[in-house]
Amino acid sequence: MAITNRVNFLVGGPAGAGVASVGMLFAKCLQRAGLNAFGTNDYPSLIKGGHNLYAVSVSPEPIHCLVGQPDIVIALDKKTVELHAAALASGGALIFDSNKVASAKEMAKREDISYIGAPLTQMAAAAGGEIMFNTVALGAAMGILSLDFAILENMLGKLWARKGQAVVDANIAAARAGYNFSKSALSEPFKARIEFIKRDKTLFINGNEASVAGSLAAGCKFVAEYPMSPSSSILHLMAGHETDYDVIVKQTEDEISAANMIAGAGFAGVRAMTATSGGGFSLMAEALGMMGMMEAPAVIFESQRAGPSTGLPTYTEQADLLSALHASQGEFPRVVVAPGDANDCYVEAFNAFNIAELLQVPVIVLLDKYLSESSFTCENFSKFQLKVERGKLLSDEQLAAAPQPFKRYEYSANGISPRSIPGQKNGLHVCSSYEHDETGFTSEEGEVRIKQIDKRARKLSIIPEVFIAPTFHGASESLADILLVCWGSTKGPMLEAIRMLEQKGVAARMMHIRYASPFASVTVLKALSKAKNTIIFEGNSGAQMRSLIFQKTGYYIEKAYLRYDARPFTPDEIADHVSKLAGRK
Amino acid sequence: MVTVADLNSGHMPTWCPGCGDFGILIALKGALAKLSIPPEETVVVSGVGCGSKLPHFIKTYGFEGLHGRSLPPATGIHLANNSLTVVAVGGDGDGYGIGMAHFVHTMRRNVDLTYIVQDNEIYGLTTGQTAPTTRKGTKTKSTPNGVIDQEVNPILISLAAGATFVARGFAGDIPHLTDLIAQGIAHKGVSHIDVFQPCVTWRKDLPYDLYQKKIYKLQEAGHDVTDYHSAVARAHETERWPIGIFYNVPRATYTDEIPFIKDSPLVKHDISSVDISKYLQEFM
Repeated sequence: MAITNRVNFLVGGPAGAGVASVGMLFAKCLQRAGLNAFGTNDYPSLIKGGHNLYAVSVSPEPIHCLVGQPDIVIALDKKTVELHAAALASGGALIFDSNKVASAKEMAKREDISYIGAPLTQMAAAAGGEIMFNTVALGAAMGILSLDFAILENMLGKLWARKGQAVVDANIAAARAGYNFSKSALSEPFKARIEFIKRDKTLFINGNEASVAGSLAAGCKFVAEYPMSPSSSILHLMAGHETDYDVIVKQTEDEISAANMIAGAGFAGVRAMTATSGGGFSLMAEALGMMGMMEAPAVIFESQRAGPSTGLPTYTEQADLLSALHASQGEFPRVVVAPGDANDCYVEAFNAFNIAELLQVPVIVLLDKYLSESSFTCENFSKFQLKVERGKLLSDEQLAAAPQPFKRYEYSANGISPRSIPGQKNGLHVCSSYEHDETGFTSEEGEVRIKQIDKRARKLSIIPEVFIAPTFHGASESLADILLVCWGSTKGPMLEAIRMLEQKGVAARMMHIRYASPFASVTVLKALSKAKNTIIFEGNSGAQMRSLIFQKTGYYIEKAYLRYDARPFTPDEIADHVSKLAGRK
Repeated sequence: MVTVADLNSGHMPTWCPGCGDFGILIALKGALAKLSIPPEETVVVSGVGCGSKLPHFIKTYGFEGLHGRSLPPATGIHLANNSLTVVAVGGDGDGYGIGMAHFVHTMRRNVDLTYIVQDNEIYGLTTGQTAPTTRKGTKTKSTPNGVIDQEVNPILISLAAGATFVARGFAGDIPHLTDLIAQGIAHKGVSHIDVFQPCVTWRKDLPYDLYQKKIYKLQEAGHDVTDYHSAVARAHETERWPIGIFYNVPRATYTDEIPFIKDSPLVKHDISSVDISKYLQEFM
């Protein structure tokens, strides 16, 4: 009996073969059919050659990461057959280029899968160009699933529209050739089939793309950035929409310049951001402290990759948490938030710009390669109804009544001082990297120093605990056998893992921490204290969040499952590990 | 009308008596008064060093940033609000040492700001080490046997980088410097003004009267400011030290090429409700 609306897909090939675009098109077609898709990639740091893959999981229910083995593998080269044929689910199909792989069956040594070897290059050439061999393969995958060809046709039309009708037509012809070929190549109906579900249009969007959406919606008008994987697509997206959204996008000479530039723009009253990875963030450290001292609003996206140093540039890690919390000398308040999925990225990016102005602090949004480049199916972000809030930025009228000299760094009760921007009368001040008095003038007096440190430190406490509290999923507190703690992008694999655990009879509760600073100590301690059994999962070798929890709550989580092979967690490994802990198979 | 008195901050400079920075401060105030730029429309940006304390001694908006990093925030401020007058100031160590990358790139960008470098050929605030402009052979605290490195020629660098207004002043000739700064601010595009600034504490071997003896004025010597090769040749002179404008040509500024800030600076754009549906289209 065919499985309806659930399918896993993988495409592999050399860099430059359009692996990611085939994968994303596959996912988008199924998303268009009303389903939920999750897609993610894996590739080395090079432009041509190597081995790239893109994998997709599709489900009628919300899906948060890859779940299960692939049912369809497209091998655009021999290496993909070598690496992935063994992982194909029983009854699955291997689509390969019969010119490049002569003996797929001998290589795979499996009788329980279908072999669909098509002369992809010749078919593409017949349709109008060899370069479209990947489109032929995509068509073949759709043919297996008997997906309505009109959906693929529509997607290709949208994708290639800017290249003109001839290119659109050629791609559609290439896809149709693949579609017809595979439909006739299968001797019996495929194990999975797709039925169209009517539904409002959803988004298929990755962490970086969603972060840009949140930033644009929040009124970010200035981006200064130096390219660095995996943050560079933020630069490209912003630059691509420069004139649509009146955003000045500046590629700078280095990350030092980028951070200092956004501090200047923020001081001048424009919402500004930069994006980088750990290496670039290290270069921004001094500017980060300056933003803290000056109380200049700024938003820094830091998409973690495996470090230290150059590390593994295109692979993921969650090892910059303590760096984000501690970078730069001295003591100053900062906000550090780690979204867990594309929805979180949108919301927390938007919030970051509000918080930066409300608190007059730098805000670091901690992403990672896995989150930055994995795509999630989300409902339209307009549902969130977020509002721009600019805090104590004074109007010209308010400034007209301000006593002189203007006290930009007034010792206010909650630590937030009135703010003026250049161009405004009665708001003159020097925004200084030196310690300063209430007017901004340099001061080395002990008393002033203490008052300013305390004033700045008070600011973080205005964020209510409920805003920064972790989210809980799965079994209720009273029924849970075990509490699973995670942060950032581990959210997706963990959400799928608790579903699997439920099927195994393990009642798992999950606590996902987003805000590392300020930290919801009360909520976290309460959850930890009430749990019968607790384990933390982190993508680093030092259990950095565990250290932070211990520091903030005094609670030490004994058990930690740490992954630092520079790959994301899988739900299976989480579920397996937790089952063993719970004494189940 | 804006007078020099309107620009007094009320704070006494902390510089050594006789420091060249006084002359530069007076000239900057004079230039802003001469151009009648309201104090709230000016932002003076600096890095860290003796001269970088200047924003506190002039009544405008000020941004006293990090050592070597005056130009990036100055650029950010200008791009955020290109109706402002942005003047960056800093020493030679700040600008030509730690900040050299920003110097070169800001010059090529032709951002409409004025960069005044207090060039005393020494690190003052850190108590007398060699600077990038310290001439080869000079003995300083960090080079007791004489500087081995060839000194930097900042005028040649900004000319090579594509600056559209390149000048040098002398802190001991305030009327001349005032005029240079006023022209630099009025120039559309980036202006680089290197200023000979005697350090009376650490460079007693480079006193005012030596500068007076060596310098001559380009504008009195019939120099053509639109002749790039002549500017380069003048910048190479070592026997006599030219001051005045080396090079001054029109070129589209960075913001001239950004259509959406033609009518209204970025800071005036309404952000209360940005519709991102167009952006989201490609993900549907």
